[in-house]
Formats: sequence, C-alpha cells, structure tokens
Amino acid sequence: MKDFALMMIGAALVNNVILARFLGLCSFMGVTTRIDTAAGMGLATTFVITVSSMADWAVQHYLLDAYGLGYLRTVTFILVIASAVQFTELTIRKVSPSLFQMLGIYLPLITTNCAVLGVALLLVEGHMSFIGSTLFAFASSLGYSLVMIIFAGLRERLALAQVPRLFAGPPIAFIVASLLAMAFMGFSGISTG
Amino acid sequence: MVRVDGDRVWFEPEQTTSCGHCASSAVCGTGANGIGSVASRIELRRFSLDNPAGLRVGERVVVGVDDRALIKAALTAYALPLLTALTAGGLAQGVAGDDLVTLAAMVVGLFFGLAGARIAARRLAARGELAPRFLRRAAPSGVMT
Repeated sequence: MKDFALMMIGAALVNNVILARFLGLCSFMGVTTRIDTAAGMGLATTFVITVSSMADWAVQHYLLDAYGLGYLRTVTFILVIASAVQFTELTIRKVSPSLFQMLGIYLPLITTNCAVLGVALLLVEGHMSFIGSTLFAFASSLGYSLVMIIFAGLRERLALAQVPRLFAGPPIAFIVASLLAMAFMGFSGISTG
Repeated sequence: MVRVDGDRVWFEPEQTTSCGHCASSAVCGTGANGIGSVASRIELRRFSLDNPAGLRVGERVVVGVDDRALIKAALTAYALPLLTALTAGGLAQGVAGDDLVTLAAMVVGLFFGLAGARIAARRLAARGELAPRFLRRAAPSGVMT
C-alpha cells in the first residue's frame, strides 16, 4: 500500500507528465485560457489515459508479450488509444446527449495527445502489475490535470495583469510555465529527503 | 442556426479542424462528411433552444452555459465511472490478488459507474443545469467585429 502511495505521488508530482516529462504540451498551452475548460480537458484526459492504460496492459501481456510482437508496440498502442477515445465518445453520447454536446469537443483532441501514448509506453518500461500500472496511469493523469488547472488559474490572472507589450500573450505564458516547472522541481526533494 | 421546428430552433456549433484548412479538405474522407470538414461530428452536436429573439436560419449566435456546468458535467461523465472502477479494482486486488480478476472487476466497476453517470446526468439535465442559453446575435460569417 505504501509503495503504491509513493509511486502515485512520484507520478503526479515528482515526475509530472507536463513539467518533468514534457508531454501533452499542445493542450497545456492551447486549452488553459480558462479554468473550467482546463478542468474539463484534464478530467477527459484522465479518463482516457486510465482506460487506455488498462487496455494497453492487457494487450501488452496477453498479445504482444505472448506472441513476441513487441516491435508492434507503438502502432498497437496508438490503435488502442484511438479505440479508447471512440469508446468514450460513444459511451458519453449514449449515457447523456447533453453531456456529449458539452464535452464532446475535447475527445477528438485527446487522440493526438502525446501524454496518453507516453504514459502507456512508460508503463511497459516499468514492468508493473495490472493494479500498479492502472494507479500509475491514474496518478500521472491527475498530475496532468493539476498542472492544467493551476496554469489556467495563472493565465486568468495574467489576462488582467499589466504586461509589457513585448511579453504580452504567449511569451509571458511561457515564462510563467517555466516558473511553474521550477516550482514543481521542488517536489524532487521528496525522493532524496 | 440550421433549422426552425415550431417554437424550437436548432443550432450547430462552428468548428473546423486544422486539417479542415487544407486545400484538399473537401475531398478528404467520404463526401460532405469528410475528416477535414468535421461535419459528421458537428451534426451529432446539434442542440435546440426556444426561439429567443425571432432568429432565422443562417444567423450566427453566441450561446453560453453556466460557469460551473462544464465542471459538473465533466465530474459526472468522467470522475464518477473512474472512481467506481478504481474502487472495484482495489477491492478485487485485496480479495483475490490476481491481475485478471482485478481487470474484470475494474471493467464491471466502470460500467456501473457509467450507469450512475447516466442517472446523475438525467438529474442535472432535468434541473436545466446542462442547457445552453442564448446570449446574443453574432456578426455574420466573414465580418470582423
């Protein structure tokens, strides 16, 4: 239990998907202009990463490893992720058309989010059990959502701030992102302290 | 706005993908619902409102939802099924300690969570918390404001 808890803290904060592994940067800059859209995107990505990692684990163990098809891993995982996104889209539409109208816009974007594939490939390198890999994927995506929401909050404040014209817009957003990354570097002390 | 149906009017969101700007987008995929046009996705996301201001077909409008509606919707659709799946998986791992059993339990938990999300979404929709609201008319397409 303690091992799982430490692994999840490490995945969410110390080795954060966005700020330490530099995955999912497109959505990090593109969907963080408002907190509610960032939270919507974060939760949708959390769902897809967790569900696709469950499927990826099964495919890796019962298909790729069993038949020596490891060289097809990347292609197979891309297919699994696209299928997971389609599954999510169809399910949300069936569960509630109102929710689908509101949230459907985020789902196609997730298919091309490299954080989803990146986490799936990290799981293979980790040689984890099913529950371990699922919790790792869940914690990684929670870390992704956390950073998205924090950054969106900062950008909402930045929109009201007096910024020199030279830095207005994306430049100041990148500077703030770098400061946020430096702040998250503080979590790396957890592993050595 | 795309259709008038008695007192109700139907809208389609404006949306183009990056590949929709490609010169070949019109012939990409199958017919008018090609990948570049994203028409197939947009048709699925049509929604209706009471005709708020005598709108006519072809007019562009700005609609909005309540500030917290998006977060409530996302929590209902994604967080609830995930929590039930993880809870079921954790319990199965504690009881059986076998990967295959845990996987099966998580899939079952996921479907129970989706059923719960359906009930919660119906309640939200019945209270009108997910419904978009007409805000104002937008400028005609191609006019900069």
